[in-house]
Amino acid sequence: MKNISKTILKTAWILSLLFSSCTDDFDSLNTNPNGLTDEQSEADFISIGGPFNPIFLNIYRYDPAWNTQLQHNLNADTFSGYMAPPRPFVGGVNTTNYGFVDFWDQFPWDIPYSSTGVMQNARLVKERGEEDFPLMYALAQILRVEAMHRVTDVYGPIVYSKYGLDATFAEYDSQQEVYNQFFEELDQAINTLSTDPTNGQFAKFDLVYDGDLAQWIKFANTLRLRLAIRVSKVDPAKAQIEGEKSLSDSGGLLETNADNFIIKGGVTHPLTIFNSSWNDVRMNASMESILVGYNDPRIDEMFEISNVSAGMYKGVRGGMPLLDGYTDELDQKADYEIFSRLGDSYILDKAPTTSIQLMTAAEAYFLKAEAALRGWNGAGDAQSNYEMGISISFAQYGLSGNAAVYIADNTSTPIDYIDPVNASNNISALTTTTIAWNNGDDNETKLEKIITQKWIAMFPDGQEAWSEFRRTGYPKIFPVVANNSNGTIDTNIQIRRLPFPASERSTNPQGVAGARVLLNGPDTGGTRLWWDVNSGNF
Amino acid sequence: MRKSILIFSAFLSFLIIEQVKAQEKVISGTVTSKGENSMPLPGVNVVVKGTSKGVQTDFDGRYSIEASSGQILEFSYIGFTSITVQVDAITVIDVAMEESLEQLDDVVVTALGIQKSRKSLTYAAQDISAAELTKVKDVNPVNSLSGKIAGVVVNRSASGVGGSVKLTLRGNTSTRDNQPLYVIDGIPLLNNSAIQPNNSFGDIENAGNRDGGDALSLLNPEDIESITVLKGASASALYGSQGSNGVVLITTKKGKAGKFKTSFSSNVTVDQAAYLLDFNDRAQDNVDDFFDVGTTTINAMSISGGTENAQTYFSYTNTFASGVIPTHKVKKHTLNVRETAQLLDNKMKVDASILLSTQSIRNKPISGFYYNPLVGTYAFNSETENLSNYETFEEFNSERNLLAQRWFRATSDIEQNPYWILNRNASDDENQKLLASLSLQYKFNDWLTIQTRGSYDKNFYKFERKIHATTDGTLSAPNGRYLYNDVEDTQLYGDIIAILNADISESFSISANVGTSIRKSDLGKSVLLDSGVRGDLKIPNIFTLSNFVVGTTGVNPILEQRIAEQKEVQSIFASTTLGYNDLLFLDLTARNDWSSTVSDPFFYPSVGLTAMLSEIFELPESITYAKIRASYAEVGNDIQSFVNNPINTIGTGAGGLTPPTILPLTELQPETQRSFEIGTEWKFFNNRLGFDLGYYKTNTIDQFMLIDGGVAADFLAINAGDFENKGIEASITLVPIQNDNVRWDANINFAQNDNEIKELDPRLGRDFLELTPIDVNSYALLIRKGGSFGDIYGRKLRKTPGGLPIRNADGNFTQADPDQNTRGGFDLLGNANPDFALGWNNSITYKNFTLNFLIDAKFGGEVMSLTEAAVDGFGTLNRTGEVRIFDEATNAETTIPAREYYQMIGGRNGLTSEYIYDATNIRLAELSFGYNFKLQDNSFFTSITASIIGRNLFFFYKDAPYDPNISLSTANGLQGIDIFGSPSTQSIGLNVGLSF
Repeated sequence: MKNISKTILKTAWILSLLFSSCTDDFDSLNTNPNGLTDEQSEADFISIGGPFNPIFLNIYRYDPAWNTQLQHNLNADTFSGYMAPPRPFVGGVNTTNYGFVDFWDQFPWDIPYSSTGVMQNARLVKERGEEDFPLMYALAQILRVEAMHRVTDVYGPIVYSKYGLDATFAEYDSQQEVYNQFFEELDQAINTLSTDPTNGQFAKFDLVYDGDLAQWIKFANTLRLRLAIRVSKVDPAKAQIEGEKSLSDSGGLLETNADNFIIKGGVTHPLTIFNSSWNDVRMNASMESILVGYNDPRIDEMFEISNVSAGMYKGVRGGMPLLDGYTDELDQKADYEIFSRLGDSYILDKAPTTSIQLMTAAEAYFLKAEAALRGWNGAGDAQSNYEMGISISFAQYGLSGNAAVYIADNTSTPIDYIDPVNASNNISALTTTTIAWNNGDDNETKLEKIITQKWIAMFPDGQEAWSEFRRTGYPKIFPVVANNSNGTIDTNIQIRRLPFPASERSTNPQGVAGARVLLNGPDTGGTRLWWDVNSGNF
Repeated sequence: MRKSILIFSAFLSFLIIEQVKAQEKVISGTVTSKGENSMPLPGVNVVVKGTSKGVQTDFDGRYSIEASSGQILEFSYIGFTSITVQVDAITVIDVAMEESLEQLDDVVVTALGIQKSRKSLTYAAQDISAAELTKVKDVNPVNSLSGKIAGVVVNRSASGVGGSVKLTLRGNTSTRDNQPLYVIDGIPLLNNSAIQPNNSFGDIENAGNRDGGDALSLLNPEDIESITVLKGASASALYGSQGSNGVVLITTKKGKAGKFKTSFSSNVTVDQAAYLLDFNDRAQDNVDDFFDVGTTTINAMSISGGTENAQTYFSYTNTFASGVIPTHKVKKHTLNVRETAQLLDNKMKVDASILLSTQSIRNKPISGFYYNPLVGTYAFNSETENLSNYETFEEFNSERNLLAQRWFRATSDIEQNPYWILNRNASDDENQKLLASLSLQYKFNDWLTIQTRGSYDKNFYKFERKIHATTDGTLSAPNGRYLYNDVEDTQLYGDIIAILNADISESFSISANVGTSIRKSDLGKSVLLDSGVRGDLKIPNIFTLSNFVVGTTGVNPILEQRIAEQKEVQSIFASTTLGYNDLLFLDLTARNDWSSTVSDPFFYPSVGLTAMLSEIFELPESITYAKIRASYAEVGNDIQSFVNNPINTIGTGAGGLTPPTILPLTELQPETQRSFEIGTEWKFFNNRLGFDLGYYKTNTIDQFMLIDGGVAADFLAINAGDFENKGIEASITLVPIQNDNVRWDANINFAQNDNEIKELDPRLGRDFLELTPIDVNSYALLIRKGGSFGDIYGRKLRKTPGGLPIRNADGNFTQADPDQNTRGGFDLLGNANPDFALGWNNSITYKNFTLNFLIDAKFGGEVMSLTEAAVDGFGTLNRTGEVRIFDEATNAETTIPAREYYQMIGGRNGLTSEYIYDATNIRLAELSFGYNFKLQDNSFFTSITASIIGRNLFFFYKDAPYDPNISLSTANGLQGIDIFGSPSTQSIGLNVGLSF
């Protein structure tokens, strides 16, 4: 017995020796060899510049394409009257006809808050560079405003100022608070960039302007003008102050197509995939009505002749249900996928673009035209801005020669829409507004022209087009064919927002409860956002 | 260092094999049963006492063994009293053994390879012999466990021959891994799958919903001597975290002293696709035309023999199979060499083995919609043409000057020409395994033995898919796509154990083990080269790395190194069994682990108690064995590598950086599992009837989980939850008939398990965890508080209280009360796990004939056929007649054609409540009918057997439109669902065995 206990003791002693010092390499074992620690990423300022890459590639997500389809296409791109799916998804009841699909409607939210999204990455730039790299932080602020105004314009209140304080609960800001912060941040950023506009440290991380900070100042000024115009109905005083800052800033606004804010991601535009591979998106009937009605030559670049009506462009009505006479989604899709596709830039075996366009110089002129109508200092003349906007847009499509005739056209009006497959979808044009400027028109008519032309020029950024449609009611786009909102959305007033996303309802229920209070209305698609004032535009 | 030990020992053993002791002679004879109905006894253990040398009698009870005069031969056989005979001048020793009236005192292999007498076990353990496993041989030996062991649920993967297997013991406990630990001859086996699918669409990134295969499919069923299943944590506490899902102990064959014996067996089966959907006539013809008759051939050879001091076992097996899906081909070769030796007056035992295995599979079947030929096959609804017209799958395209895909309509992401996929999206899997192990044991004296073991275990998984130009743009770039993935798993294991045995006094005995082990693993270390969907090849259809278009700012191509797990666990452990008069046994274990994944070491104990009622009390004579047992165990489990140390990853563009996708909410701690079990074992009537009944309850708490990170992170890692499993297991062994000519052995296994998610996450508002994430298709696998593991979610059709589908005024069928708390509004539709399972295994011997059959039944649980829903969308199913509905437009009941109804509710994103089926099924899982040829004594052969076998022949009952025992994944996701999985097969075949 004595022997046994001795042996056990001895064995235990030997074993304890074995363990005295061999857990030393545990830390290195528990470090992913394919990652980078913060120290490792300091070389060449990657830790500061690196986070910009995911920001650029996810404001409008490049990849995978089905994410983008749910981030922008099956909501804003359709609501804006740009495009429409030929397939009545989910048995004909889906977000495009106000039968909200939870799984879809969270993507505009989830992407900016994901690890590749703007919120986390801009925070990393702030943490690592606010002190030592103020220029870089200023750029992150501009990109955050660019990305997040798209998000608040979808939902209303969002998690913004309280972001990142607590992993288990995130408090929302009202949309007004969010916009006020946007203006503050843009102020700061423009001021910071203006102190050193020739600094080149951003060049290798910049997917838009190759590190030219003067260009970034122009973009930030135009973005501020866009936001100012956005709040011009709800808070005209603030709007004018912010707008005039941009109009008077020495850095200027976007002026030529070379200034356009275009992300050069180097990868096929995701619209290409759902346009020409999945055949899930086609020209919208509203687009056909206006472009064909106006004899707009840009249509040849933006869309393809359809295969349903010989030699004609043909759009699809937005918000179609599963129509009578079709047994299922694919059956109906077979009839509608032969309508007009988006043009060569979005077709795989043609000339697919790799550029994501989020703001153009044309828009800057249209913003100035509206600012002029509103009497803001520095806006210039409404008509010349309006006509300049059209000319710049034509130039962007290589059609400069055609602009003058187009601008002078005072007879063409949008055409009635005829669905060659189902006559029940036919609808008359909702407006008789023409293209040519007439100084004798009232402001409302002038605004309709400005916004209609801005709408054409901003294609294919449906998110901004939908926001401006909600703010102004222009252009006059066709309502949904079917309305599955159970009375929460008026078919003619059309959808005002998306309900708070399911991902937030399940992970941050307390935050959503607070957001619903800030919303000032039921959490439905019919509740107007803060800047969306239910009144005339002037 | 370890390498040189291996080489040295290999040399050593080959030297030793040459030594033969001169004074030995060959003793032979026949062993029979005593009494009126004397019969030869096959499988009797004959050992030279005091040595490790031993043989078994053959089918006719014959044996031969080398021994020297004065040595003692011991004959032992389950159910019979052991006999010892001293060797003298006589070389023929015939023995008649008497059936034992005493209880069985057989020996069971337990944790760490330690042998214990069955009566001292304080937990449930059930074993199964090699014969049971190889009667109806399967390429993956684990498939043969289904129905044969209570509490084991086996789901074969839907990837056909050569696929991996999912085995669950006592229900699911973990959101990470629920597969048990496999242990080969005491050493933990590395069984990691290179990849398992978890996407209801099909994984574009990995070029299909792939089953990457597992280590088990690389083993050779012929090498297995027996399998013991330790079901609960009490049994496996000594294995620590790895054993928390139970342990499957595999004992392999080793050489036996004596003349070299060679065995051959050959097995041919013919497999037919079965249990398909009910297609309409036109579609059925096309589907029948598409599927081939599969064949599987397994040829096995083994040589075993050696001297008293050194023995050799060598085996080689090859498997050639072609699947039911055309072009699916499997080739597998396994080679195993094992050397055992006894040195230094038998004080030292050496055991060294090397296993090599290679498997190559062409076009291994996948599930999901992408790259799957079954979608196009089932969707082919041309009114004028046959599918066979498209066996010519390509045609010249003058615009591109290449051969382009040909199909009866425009292809789409989900629908392509199946023959194009098989030939122009072809895949190759190449899996290899190398397992080298060495064990040394030194017996210092009667009470102390020290053992040390080491193993080097390596899996290689190589996959490539070559996708030709004109494959749909969702799946391929315009010039095609080349994906190449090389995955390596490495595990190094070593332990040292001191084994102590002593009788302290007349009544008390003690046995104890003290040991230490180290395990270092690199799992899923891979290189992924993918020209990508959003990248491209420079020149169409050239599949080389140098043909990749490599941009500077592109998202693709993907050129990545990855590693799934990199960790080291060091442990010390001790166990002791105290016995009192062989009546009562107390079992205690303790283990402390240091894991590189968590900062603090963690400790966990177990305790068990057994009482032999049949020895304590005077029981009626008909009761031959009675025992009760109880045990409680805690097992700690470390967490996923790297989670406690989140770092950035390299982003997709120049200078890009991506922050970690997983953030720990607080520093993560090890998980804990607490389990309790009680049981009782009884045997009656000379062991002709016996049963084992047990109850268990297991709670897994502080589980490592990844939850949706909300706005804070993609995923938050937390310690949370309380998952409870409780259940009853029973097995009955029965010999209903036993006489001169006939013996019928039956074995019935029953297991019932209840799982409840008692707590998910008390700190956060998050209500559910996605095992298979919610997406646009109407299927998800979610874990929610109050629910249970394997809950299937989808969309529910709106119906009247009387159950009639409601068509609304717009003419649509819509979803009923979507659950606002699941994104997607998904509702609970069923649960993938059975309520209880029953297996009935029979073996009937009549003279030289043997009939075996296994009836395997599962009761309760649900499955969903997303295949059927999607195919309804294509309109190729046999939907005739009318369906009664309630029409809200007229406020009245009416009927509509079934075809129209199903097209409206079907589709992959349809109302899947109508595609949920009861998973209950009863099937004839195995059938074999064999004959043992009577051989003359002077025959060259020692045995010849032949049998006709059948597997999965028919269902006595089945509700689902597919075989619900098939699983799309052997990981946690995609359970209870079929999404164009390769159909189950019915197999019949022939098995021939020879030995000489």
